[in-house]
Amino acid sequence: MSDTRIIKKRYIFMAFVFVGLALLLVLLPEKQISKQIKPEKLLQEINDNTRYFSTDDVAAKIIESDLFIQPIDVRTPEEFKKFHLKRAINIPLDSILNKDEKGNFEYANILNQEVKSNVLYSNGTIYSNQAWLLLRRLNFKNNYVMEGGLNKWIETIIRPQKPPVTASQNELDKYSFRKAASMFFGGGSVNVASSESSAPAPIIKKKAMKEEEGGC
Amino acid sequence: MGPLFTATDEWSFVIALVIGIAFGFILESAGFSSSRKLAGVFYGYDFVVLQVFFTAAITAAIGLLFFEYFGWLDLSAIWINKFYIGSAILGGGIMGIGFIIGGFCPGTSACASAVGKIDAMLFLGGFIVGVILFDAFFPFYKGFYKANNMGGALIYEDLGMGKYTFLLLFVIVALASFIATAYIQKRVSKKSEKY
Repeated sequence: MSDTRIIKKRYIFMAFVFVGLALLLVLLPEKQISKQIKPEKLLQEINDNTRYFSTDDVAAKIIESDLFIQPIDVRTPEEFKKFHLKRAINIPLDSILNKDEKGNFEYANILNQEVKSNVLYSNGTIYSNQAWLLLRRLNFKNNYVMEGGLNKWIETIIRPQKPPVTASQNELDKYSFRKAASMFFGGGSVNVASSESSAPAPIIKKKAMKEEEGGC
Repeated sequence: MGPLFTATDEWSFVIALVIGIAFGFILESAGFSSSRKLAGVFYGYDFVVLQVFFTAAITAAIGLLFFEYFGWLDLSAIWINKFYIGSAILGGGIMGIGFIIGGFCPGTSACASAVGKIDAMLFLGGFIVGVILFDAFFPFYKGFYKANNMGGALIYEDLGMGKYTFLLLFVIVALASFIATAYIQKRVSKKSEKY
């Protein structure tokens, strides 16, 4: 009998401890917890390359109609109008941190993602990386960068180069995928001007783009 | 402070192993390698499983929020699984049925196998076959599996209340459930004594 009493007393004591601690958290003065990413973590993320999506990955996901990927064009609206990836939306780099009248980030619900993976791209990777850095600094999640930007997209997906006969099976497979992707996106043997229905033709010329980007 | 190890660190496997062994040891010490004890929640004669897991949840929640408050832990760095509501409901149902038929959940079956229980070994075998079949037929139900992704959902955000208020309510609900289950347990064991 005395045993059960001791146990019961213990339980009651623990119940009070739990409620007391929870109540303490409610009553403690609110503390501003910085939502920004820690500098060390940001540095680590800059140095590793996990933020990059290859052009092949992006192409495959767009072809598969994978809705969990969201291409975001960070170039100017004029450039976006000329050419953009299928399903891409345009959020120019200079307006990426725009705030609404309440002081909240205008694009936060798109750029701070729990569900989709945003793939930022520009002509090269300088602007897309800058956009990524701004967003990571704010601890916005699920933002990635398309490796090599549109320059590489044209190079690998729209106009893939045939590998030498001695190339590995892996490379040959990659080439056949790229050729198929090129047809899908309206490059390769298909007239470039009659590109994908939702997007205007890829009329950006490689050389011109490199000049714009400052050789990235 | 922290993270002590990053996800890409090769040490993460060692840490996972150590935590796994500690978890298994505690499950076994709490008596969770007995399928009778686990099934007791369903039949109403033993609620230790519910009490242990509820206590673990509130202890961890209080601890994590205090750690965050003192700046020792960055809660935003903790990965939260994506919440696919359809597959969570269906999966929860299948898991519950499997639990009551087999008398184990995946973790406790591994734990009971380690102490030599043959039924648990069979359960674990079935579990592995299930994993292989699930993987083999995945393309058939991929659409349903990945539908309705609600992201890393947080219940207090969806309820529109502060996390500390939610924690307090959660603690009260946990304690109330302890009292209620103790009462049910008493009645069920009294009934079984009669027969």
